[in-house]
Amino acid sequence: MQGQDDGHEFGQDADKDEALRARLQSLSHALNAQSTDAESAQTDEKRVEKAQRSMSLAMSLGFRVLTEFVAAVIVGGAIGWQFDKWFGTSPILLIVFLGFGVAAAFWNVYRMASPKGSRDRLL
Amino acid sequence: MATAHPIDPIHQFHVDRIVPLHFLGADVSFTNASVFMLVIVAVATLLMLIGSFNHKMVPGRLQSIAEVTYEFIASTLELSSGREGMRFFPFVFSIFMFVFLANLIGIIPYTFTVTSQLAVTFGLAMIVIGTVVIYGIIKHGSHFFGLFAPSGVSPILLPFMILIEVISFISRPISLSIRLFANMLAGHITLVVMGGFVAGLLAAGSFFTIVAPLPLLMVVIFLAFELLVAFLQAYVFTILTCVYLNDAVHPGH
Repeated sequence: MQGQDDGHEFGQDADKDEALRARLQSLSHALNAQSTDAESAQTDEKRVEKAQRSMSLAMSLGFRVLTEFVAAVIVGGAIGWQFDKWFGTSPILLIVFLGFGVAAAFWNVYRMASPKGSRDRLL
Repeated sequence: MATAHPIDPIHQFHVDRIVPLHFLGADVSFTNASVFMLVIVAVATLLMLIGSFNHKMVPGRLQSIAEVTYEFIASTLELSSGREGMRFFPFVFSIFMFVFLANLIGIIPYTFTVTSQLAVTFGLAMIVIGTVVIYGIIKHGSHFFGLFAPSGVSPILLPFMILIEVISFISRPISLSIRLFANMLAGHITLVVMGGFVAGLLAAGSFFTIVAPLPLLMVVIFLAFELLVAFLQAYVFTILTCVYLNDAVHPGH
């Protein structure tokens, strides 16, 4: 049904398309002009606020990297220390697991930075 | 110091027992932290109840807050863990409301910041990770442990990768709790120290009195910063909860 209608009114549709496109273009022009106006009218206060916002975003991202890193090293060290206590092999396992902890820490940070793990990232 | 009250930046984090209680040898006293947790739960409940009580087509202020919060959390959760993750919506929403209101109420002077206590944030983080582990094992059985074996790794390296993944998994609740706790602690200590500068400079007299408003300006700027941090940390906590829940819903990645 619908396909037939489309076939009949093809010429009319093309006209409509043309008109629509022209209207869309004029609208986007108006929008662009308005947004540039708004940008230039942006007060210092807003700019300061924006800077503060991006600053706090960057700080929280940096803090995330820091905590992910430190937490993995601590966990590795704690596991090694506990195994040493159980098996009486102090300090070999502590050293080995501290190494694994550092590896896990780098792995955590790498996962945050790699594009594949983008869902893990902040914003 | 010349001031009458010595300024102690740590005093604000002191947990006081209001009603001492002991149950089975554990200290379960009703403290000022308990009071503020109850306040947070009451505020969150009232906000959502009043916001959704008589809903109109054109929402009023409270209804807008309720709707915006709902949609914000719902879209965050669905984006990171898909439609199957939506069954955790009540859980994630409660976590966000609790952490956000705790951070926000903590900024008001003379209140107690619940999220500046490591016990509270670690408890929250363990609830999240406990949910992930228990739900993952119930839903996927042994397949859940495939989370620790990344695909496409040579068999020689696999044992090491599993060990590293396990350490990385255990470090999650620790980093999750320490981040929130440290952010709130550091922010509140900074505010009190800055405020202390104002009092100290005023007391020192003469030239110092003239520059006393400078740290006050810093306090004002820092308060705005703290408001942002309060929201941002609640958001980070929530989005990481969603990411970890995604591991429970879809363990093979």
